Amino acid sequence: MQVVGLTTPQEVFVASRERKFRINEILVIEDPHQGSLIGEVVEANSYNRFIPLSINHDFVDARVIESLERLGYSISEDEINIARVKLRNEASFPVTTGAKAHLPEFSEVKDLLVRSTPQEGLALGEIKNTEETADTMDENLKGLFYVYTKGEKKKTKNVPFLLDLKSFQQYPHIGIFGGSGSGKSYGLRVIMEELMLKEIPAIILDPHYEMDFSTKEEGLEGTPDFKSAFKKFQIGEDIGVEFLALGKRDLLDLLSAVKPLTEAMSSAVEILHRRGDTLLSFSSRLELLAEALELGRIRIEKILQQDMEPQEREKYKKMKELLEEYPNIPLVSVQGIAWRLRRLQASGLFNHNIKPVKEALLQGKLAVIQGPIWLLQVFSTYLLANLYRARRDYKDGELKGNAKGEYFPPFVIATDEAHNFAPKGYDAPSKGIITEIAQEGRKYGVFLVLATQRPTLLDETVTAQLNTKIIFRTVRGHDIATITEETDIGAEEAKRLPYLPSGDAFVSSPLFGRTVAIRVRLPYTKSPHTLNPFDEIKNYRQKAEERLLDLLETHLPIYETNLLKVIQALNAEAPDLKLEVRTLKESLETLVKSGKLQKTDTPFGAMYHHQ
Amino acid sequence: MERLNENLKTEFSIAASALRKRLKERPDRENLRDLIEKSGLGRFKRSRRMTNDELKSLSEKGGIVGVDGSTNSTAGSFPYVITVQQSLAKSTAVQEEIYYSRVLCPLFMQEDMDEAEYLELTKSSLASLEAMAAIEAVEKLKPAVILVDGSLVRLKIEAKSLWGDLKKAAIDKGILLVGVVEGITTKIISAALKESLPEAMKGACDWELLFGALDVGEGLEVVPTGLKEGFRTVFMRTSLDPKPIGIDLLEEQYEYMEQVENLVFTLTPQDGRGIPLWLDLVDKKVKISDALLEGLLKAYLGEDFSEFLTPKRAKRSP
Repeated sequence: MQVVGLTTPQEVFVASRERKFRINEILVIEDPHQGSLIGEVVEANSYNRFIPLSINHDFVDARVIESLERLGYSISEDEINIARVKLRNEASFPVTTGAKAHLPEFSEVKDLLVRSTPQEGLALGEIKNTEETADTMDENLKGLFYVYTKGEKKKTKNVPFLLDLKSFQQYPHIGIFGGSGSGKSYGLRVIMEELMLKEIPAIILDPHYEMDFSTKEEGLEGTPDFKSAFKKFQIGEDIGVEFLALGKRDLLDLLSAVKPLTEAMSSAVEILHRRGDTLLSFSSRLELLAEALELGRIRIEKILQQDMEPQEREKYKKMKELLEEYPNIPLVSVQGIAWRLRRLQASGLFNHNIKPVKEALLQGKLAVIQGPIWLLQVFSTYLLANLYRARRDYKDGELKGNAKGEYFPPFVIATDEAHNFAPKGYDAPSKGIITEIAQEGRKYGVFLVLATQRPTLLDETVTAQLNTKIIFRTVRGHDIATITEETDIGAEEAKRLPYLPSGDAFVSSPLFGRTVAIRVRLPYTKSPHTLNPFDEIKNYRQKAEERLLDLLETHLPIYETNLLKVIQALNAEAPDLKLEVRTLKESLETLVKSGKLQKTDTPFGAMYHHQ
Repeated sequence: MERLNENLKTEFSIAASALRKRLKERPDRENLRDLIEKSGLGRFKRSRRMTNDELKSLSEKGGIVGVDGSTNSTAGSFPYVITVQQSLAKSTAVQEEIYYSRVLCPLFMQEDMDEAEYLELTKSSLASLEAMAAIEAVEKLKPAVILVDGSLVRLKIEAKSLWGDLKKAAIDKGILLVGVVEGITTKIISAALKESLPEAMKGACDWELLFGALDVGEGLEVVPTGLKEGFRTVFMRTSLDPKPIGIDLLEEQYEYMEQVENLVFTLTPQDGRGIPLWLDLVDKKVKISDALLEGLLKAYLGEDFSEFLTPKRAKRSP
């Protein structure tokens, strides 16, 4: 292996007869004047010097090559492999042509590849094409996890990619970019698993209901058990918002998450919501005001002149007071607010609080927050703001020498579809808090892991704060452009982005000072949705069919003329089926079609019976 | 664009129409084949591609060796030139490659010579390098066949002293010595058919007459006379290119003519210019390119001295 051709201080060509090069391989160039220089293969080519690509613009006759092979000539004998190598650090002057090059021993490039230990770093995957170097690696770095290669689950043979936990203080936030099917969700899952292994408190917003870590991936040895390391919370079921603790802003966000508020509504909420309001006091105020507006002042006064129960009188008096207090709020606004509030209430949001999440974090667990995306957006705003405040208050107190505040640990916030939470160009309830954490979280030990398919749609202030970026296959030109703009990814890597295999990624991190090509490790656990939806349909149909057949068993044979009676019996046994003559007949026909039943014509009409 | 000089245009059109007239006078394909067959000058013969078994047995006998040479001179004016030459013998079966090289410079020659003499010298020097490579290939690489790029007659004339050794070694060892000629310059056909050819074609080269007259894989074997005595020659169309190539063989090895034709045909890409691919590979490898020559100059003479060898003409802007 040696340097050939024209060289520059940044880039050289290395040629080898024996060895084919692979992209991202690291090579050591022994420059006689400058000592060892380290470079990375950015382009790999092979060619046979003597088989011209074209003779009169046509490829050489394969027959002739074959004849030459039969005469003893082996084509690979004259093959030359050439690598374009980008130097890690610019050399002082151009590299000497003819300088020898070799594949590095681990010790030569250790600092370049491994910046942490398995104990202190998150093992995200393997650094691609480092097998040879990995041979001379310390034993404790070998075979740390499994990877998925060529359809098989195998122990890694490459150098591990370890993201140092301690470096988070310096480079706090992680962005994960990649289209669907690129392995982005796997990447997120791996990070979450690693955080759990290290018992780092974390929250993940899970709009897809996929962040469950109790099902182990099959065929792996020594899989850790995560069952007690994470806790799932459904918004409205397990956790919710304490109405009493809501500020005006929070309330506005919540209400507008149901459906955007008009300006009149917003100002109405600002006026109507009072400090110390409970859900009951606020909602009854709304309802009462609505009723009052509908009746009108004159009618209310008239009613008040009539005789009535003291309780009733109290109500109308209150209505009158409200009308006097809020003379300018239109009825539709009040009704709109009331409708939104009822919807939130129906989701169960106000029946719970976020205490369980806080407890999970204090225990060093991963809190998985699940809910529909509209609710998740507003709830997360409330949740994150609260948690962040708790952490900030504690930390600020400590800084001021007032360590009496309640302890709240540093934590990691992760989410997929991050562009929904901090979108570019328009406002979303959660955008404020995410931007704040992106800019200031480092101070308090609050870190973000934001995954998105569309980095272009993510707020720029947030993107700029994502120090470490893990980039999976990306096909959209816009997104590739954003990625090249926001990372140190080079033109060569950007060109490869649309072709990255699933699970392969580039990591751009200031800690490594270069883009590292990695393959994400195989997660220890798998998502609950690995069942193919089409298999699901099949399974469902099969089960339904079997159930019906079971139910029919005692009634066979069934005559077409007698269906009604059968239906009555069946509906008594299984009311959920809600059978009618038409649907039962259709089901029977389907069973005939699939060969489970037989249909025979009799003088009494068609008869369905066993085969 | 500048306007063409009127006079130049006229002169050129006269030359062009003369050339067109000459082309028109070429005897057509059937006519020519008829003439050749009747005159007993030679016979038309079809070659075939060799079978895998045949190729394998050739390989077992030592495969084939390609021999080629290359010469290149710096751009200066005589005698301020340096000529670099090398030859290569490369086998399909043995890894080892045989190189011979030589550097000439008229400034340091023993005897005085003029430019034409120097040119002759470089020619014979190159031929001798090729012959040396071929002789060593006979000894060391022990192939079944040696394909030489260019005619054997050229070796005989230009490398007189070595030719005898080469011929003897090849015949003794039973190695077929084959010359493959890309640019045919002989006029065997026109000389033999003088009487029957139109006036314009009387001095025509063999390739001109045979252009398009042969089918792919078809050859015309002729019995040469004069300088070519002691050789057998076949003109053959080995690819889709209508211009034939020449194949030389020693009279002593005439019995293998058919196999040699088949071999050359087999090794020639159908879409190529008609030369066996192996010779193309050897040519690529031996070639002294301008870039290489320049590199040598710069490396060994230095930028400043190499200026001495660069004529003003070469510095003219395009």
